[in-house]
Amino acid sequence: MATVSIRGLHKRYPGGFHAVRGISLDIADGEFLVLVGPSGCGKSTSLRMVAGLEEVSEGEIRIGDRLVNDIAPGDRDIAMVFQNYALYPHLSVRDNMAFGLRMRNTPRAEIERRVSAAAAALSIESLLARRPRELSGGQRQRVALGRAIVREPAVFLFDEPLSNLDAKLRVQMRAELALLHRRLGTTVIYVTHDQVEAMTLGDRIVLMNHGVIQQIDAPLAIYRRPANRFVAAFIGSPTMNFFHGTIRDGGFVAAGGAARVPLDGVAATVPSGDAVLGIRPEDFVVGGGDEDAAAFATAEVTVAEQMGHETLAHVSIGGATSIVRVPGNRGVAPGDRLPLGVRAGAMHLFAADDEGRRLA
Amino acid sequence: MREPLRITILRHAVLLAFVAISIYPVLNVVSISLRPGDRLRSTDLAIIPADWTLASYAALFTEQPFLRWLGNSLAVSAAVTVTGVALASTAGYAFSRFRFIGRRATMLAILTTQMFPATMLLLPLYVLIARLGLVDTWLGLMIFYTATALPFCVWQMKGFYDTIPASLEEAARIDGCTRGQAFWYVVLPLATPGLVITALFSFMTAWSEYIVAAQVMQREEMFTLPLGIKGFQASLSSQWGLYAAASILVSLPVVAVFLSLSRFLVNGLTVGSVKE
Amino acid sequence: MATAVLGLAGCGSRDTRTTVTIWHQSRPTERDFLVAEIERFEADHPGVRVRPLYKETEELRAGFQAAVLAGAGPELVYGPSDVLGTFHTMGIIQDLAPWISAEERDAFVEGAITSLPATDGSGRRAVVQIGDRFGNHLALVYNRRFVTTPPLTTDDLVRIARDNTVDGDGDGRPDRYGLVWNYTEPFFGIPFLTGFGGWVFQEPESEPPRPDLDTPAMAAALGFIRDLRERHQVTPANCDYELADSLFKTGRAAMIINGDWSWSDYLANPSIDAAVAVLPTVDATGLPMRPMVAPKGYSLNANASGDQADAAMAFVRYMTSDEVQRRLLQRLRMLPARRAAWDDPLVASDPTLAASRKQIENGRLMPVAAELRAVWDGMKPAYQAVLGGTLEPAAAAARMQRDTEGFIASMHQRVEPSPLVPVLGAGIGLALFVLLVRQWRSFVALATDLRRNPTPYAFAFPAVLVIFAVIVFPFVWNLVLSLSDMSLGRFRDWRVVGLQNYAEVLADRRLWGLSGVFLKTVLWTVINVALHVTLGVILAVALHGPVRCKAIYRLLLIIPWAVPAYITALTWRGMFDYEYGAVNLILGKWLGLPAVNWLGEPLRAFEACIITNVWLGFPFMMVIALGGLQGIPEELYEAARIDRASRWQQFWHITLPLLKPVLLPAATLGAIWTFNNLNVIWLVSNGGEPQDATHILVSYVYKSVFNLYRYGYGAALSTVMFLILLAFSMVFLQRTRATESVYR
Ligand SMILES: Nc1ncnc2c1ncn2[C@@H]1O[C@H](COP(=O)(O)OP(=O)(O)O)[C@@H](O)[C@H]1O
Ligand SMILES: [Mg+2]
Repeated sequence: MATVSIRGLHKRYPGGFHAVRGISLDIADGEFLVLVGPSGCGKSTSLRMVAGLEEVSEGEIRIGDRLVNDIAPGDRDIAMVFQNYALYPHLSVRDNMAFGLRMRNTPRAEIERRVSAAAAALSIESLLARRPRELSGGQRQRVALGRAIVREPAVFLFDEPLSNLDAKLRVQMRAELALLHRRLGTTVIYVTHDQVEAMTLGDRIVLMNHGVIQQIDAPLAIYRRPANRFVAAFIGSPTMNFFHGTIRDGGFVAAGGAARVPLDGVAATVPSGDAVLGIRPEDFVVGGGDEDAAAFATAEVTVAEQMGHETLAHVSIGGATSIVRVPGNRGVAPGDRLPLGVRAGAMHLFAADDEGRRLA
Repeated sequence: MREPLRITILRHAVLLAFVAISIYPVLNVVSISLRPGDRLRSTDLAIIPADWTLASYAALFTEQPFLRWLGNSLAVSAAVTVTGVALASTAGYAFSRFRFIGRRATMLAILTTQMFPATMLLLPLYVLIARLGLVDTWLGLMIFYTATALPFCVWQMKGFYDTIPASLEEAARIDGCTRGQAFWYVVLPLATPGLVITALFSFMTAWSEYIVAAQVMQREEMFTLPLGIKGFQASLSSQWGLYAAASILVSLPVVAVFLSLSRFLVNGLTVGSVKE
Repeated sequence: MATAVLGLAGCGSRDTRTTVTIWHQSRPTERDFLVAEIERFEADHPGVRVRPLYKETEELRAGFQAAVLAGAGPELVYGPSDVLGTFHTMGIIQDLAPWISAEERDAFVEGAITSLPATDGSGRRAVVQIGDRFGNHLALVYNRRFVTTPPLTTDDLVRIARDNTVDGDGDGRPDRYGLVWNYTEPFFGIPFLTGFGGWVFQEPESEPPRPDLDTPAMAAALGFIRDLRERHQVTPANCDYELADSLFKTGRAAMIINGDWSWSDYLANPSIDAAVAVLPTVDATGLPMRPMVAPKGYSLNANASGDQADAAMAFVRYMTSDEVQRRLLQRLRMLPARRAAWDDPLVASDPTLAASRKQIENGRLMPVAAELRAVWDGMKPAYQAVLGGTLEPAAAAARMQRDTEGFIASMHQRVEPSPLVPVLGAGIGLALFVLLVRQWRSFVALATDLRRNPTPYAFAFPAVLVIFAVIVFPFVWNLVLSLSDMSLGRFRDWRVVGLQNYAEVLADRRLWGLSGVFLKTVLWTVINVALHVTLGVILAVALHGPVRCKAIYRLLLIIPWAVPAYITALTWRGMFDYEYGAVNLILGKWLGLPAVNWLGEPLRAFEACIITNVWLGFPFMMVIALGGLQGIPEELYEAARIDRASRWQQFWHITLPLLKPVLLPAATLGAIWTFNNLNVIWLVSNGGEPQDATHILVSYVYKSVFNLYRYGYGAALSTVMFLILLAFSMVFLQRTRATESVYR
């Protein structure tokens, strides 16, 4: 087990594309770190540089105390699970799992022991003699995991390992992964574009965009205090509602005056002018203001999605569409006019520029 | 899933038609080999002539050093096949997986070697062979055949490697392989169909060539089969019976090689390895 | 290197004898005789070893020229005298005068020793060949089952032939023809020409000889031949050597005109009763039909010297000794070169030998001048056109003369070095220098990359080394040659003369016209490759899937690839025969289509070549496609089926795109190979027949180099072909992105 430390990492592809633009990170021993971001933001590239599959253009990567920039992938004491599994098609499941150990001249008995143990842990003992083509998608995924586990590496690298599974299997495997990590306690770097995976699995989340780190923090911290509008929009489902408006007289006015809310206590730190107010769908309170919530606007329901335990109401506030999460199965129907309030302390203020830095 | 009947019928119809087209001219060669009196032509469509005889086949083994030529040819072809496969599988890999300086230029240059009409190269080639003292040596023939077969084999192997997902090698490298080991343990087994074609092609190149062989080999005991067979052909007085019989016999090893290799042309080697 | 190689050659035996190598063109029966005599000779001469090696005519000529140029080659070449003019002009054989005195010469029959004016201009005559036998002449062979007395005159000939052209089963096609011979070679037409009083060269023969083909005699001879076929209908519509031979051997022809090499086979054939007779006299002129006669004998390599030359000549002396000559007569029934043997009682008593001797005595000595080659090439197309009924005799005679003169002119074309040669040299040097400088940075980058990242270079290097080790020297040599005047007259002493060859290539209307060789080559390549790939993919797809007996189908389908092309191409030629070929028989019988004159009409002959080549090439593409299909994951098809893609759509959207990386290199190379494929054209159309109209660029090159000895021109044309292919490949590969892979 080991820490991983990344300093000023850059990747420029031969074509000149600058995919990773100076990221720095410290990953603690035994930590489960999730790299999340939209597709194409440079997550895989970063992970592959840690793995040694991609040359580092600039910067340093240390695993433990060792600078690994010029160390072959096989010598970095890491294991990796690929999005497409990358099982060796000509080898049986057993041999797939044993391959890495054989390459390291591990004694036979030891290989046998580790493969059996990993197979048992993943309940794939009955598949050991099969070839990958004879497995289902979920089984292939387990074998890919098994191949990483038997190695007992210092760091696990996962590149979107669940994205090829169906929804149900994904939930199940997610839980198993979490369990596995708790049992093994190995350092994990996990790449995904799925914020749910990020939120549920990670000790900490690193959110990337355009090759740059947007925020590093614990899942809840990121959820509660997104560092900018991009992060705010990325984390949370349904996504956060944004209102473009102005801060004026200690309050926020949007939608041509159709929505306004006082900024108690916040106004002092924020200068007047244009800003963006972010409110998560679950932070609206239907029924207007009370002691926990400030009155915001009256909205007209355009679509009501009944989920059973809650209703997602698409509403129009002065022409702009927002989503409101209404708990329980209270009847909400299109055409209804809902008085909306905002839960106290659930307002996120961002700068109105492109960067959208958090103001408060 | 079972195929609809009409598709099955279509398959067999196409295959049968082409089998007929494929073997009819060869049956003609068989027919020539069975005719007494060195008659190349016949006036009817009969495959087995009325006066058929196996004398030509017998004569090959009793009166002609056929077995010696066969041995020579087998040795040369085997050597060329092994070197051809070894060199093409490595070079093709470099061209498929690495980006290095001069890669495209070299690939094109390899193709260009096939572009000059071979007949014009014969004279200087002989000068070269003679100057290097390669006349009457196996080495001379082997180098030439390997060089002839390689351009195609290299390109072919490159094409095959291109279809093997790169992540397999990456997995292998993370599993502790060097690039060489990843190549040997993971990529090569998956490129088997390509290797089979490369082997077959190298073999055929060495097996059927006679123009250069005629320049290099000046002693009858060093003759390869095609060279020996061409000796049955003289202007206006060819021994067609022997020529045809030997041509039929010379194809048998090719058929055998193909039979033994074709089981490696098996289905879906990379299936299940990656999810694209 | 050389020593290592010698070691590998491992000929271990420490033979200290002087070795004399002979390249000979003996026919199979004659080879045994030669071997037996060599054994006797070696017993008498313990210090000498003689190694005979059979070479087919063209192989011997081309191989010997190359070998001498490389400073090697056999000490002796043995064969008919027709190549001597060429060898002598090229300076690749020696004057034998020092080895043979005037008295010794007198013991030979007139014409058995060939001498030519020395090339040093001294006016001496150099002895270029010592013959050991005489012959190579045509005569009439008849089947006594049908013909009791051979014809003495052409009227007899026509009458007997008419009587013997019979259609027994009344299907409109004769079951037996009166007379057959090889139509494709004008050599077989010479007796007709001489019978009508003509000859190929002007007489008395000048130096160099001038063709004399546009004569009334030629027109009359051609007219007579045409009448045999069209008016009397006693000869087949089309007939090459092998057909004539097979017809006669199977009793389907009453008479054949053929050479002495073939007679023993006919006489020994139990199913016919053959006898040899002198060719008849032409009634219109009263002259006998006189075939060409040639001695066969030994010539000495220009490189041979010292002991080896002496030993070689000792062997020649032995083979022309009275003792061996007599054995030659008795064993081989061939007329020897020395007078003494001619008086052997056997000659008079053996009817074949008697007829042969009579035919030789009224034969005409074959000219040895290199120009004879041009005569044959000039005569051939027009001769064939007359036989094909597309040209009138008189017009044919005129065309023969014109073509032959053209060939001789280009054969003797002297190119003077252009004054611009130094400029050209400087230009090339400068271009190389500029290239080097411009690429300098790449070289530097290469050096650093090589140090940093050696793996790919190490992987690619061995193959690249082997490929280029073989090709670089010949390639550069050809480039230099293309700037030179290497030709018949300047074979060993060629000079760089400039760009004239290129100018000539680019100005050649036969090449670049609308119906020119180049466009035909493009057509040839495109059609062939398209059909190869299409058929290969169709068959591979048909084979790929749940098919019973897959292995058997697969095996049978690669048969055209497995059986050597040099024989199957000949079988195809037979199958395209007008009257007896399987293609026409099947077309007629099953499809009720009219017979097609495949080999007699230019376009048809071209089609025949294409059909043959498609047949030869589709199995290879099929194997490639089969290999490629194995790499396509089944899931893709499953996914496509779920998307309700039809089979056709699956093929079009999955199979083809994924076959691309595997098929592209094969198709590219296939195009290059097809463009440069000499064999099929040469074998099926017999060297560009009919009328030299089926040539593609490489057969055109081949013809100008090997028939007209225009090495410089051939090299220039080859270089142009190379550039065409290079341009094509670069564009093609660029557009198809074949150097990149589909997945990344
Ligand atoms: N080999 C390559 N050459 C050039 N650009 C690449 C290469 N691989 C990836 N990229 C580019 O780099 C960016 C980041 O890719 P990647 O790290 O794979 O994204 P993701 O975050 O989805 O894993 C993408 O825009 C991609 O197009
Ligand atoms: Mg990715």
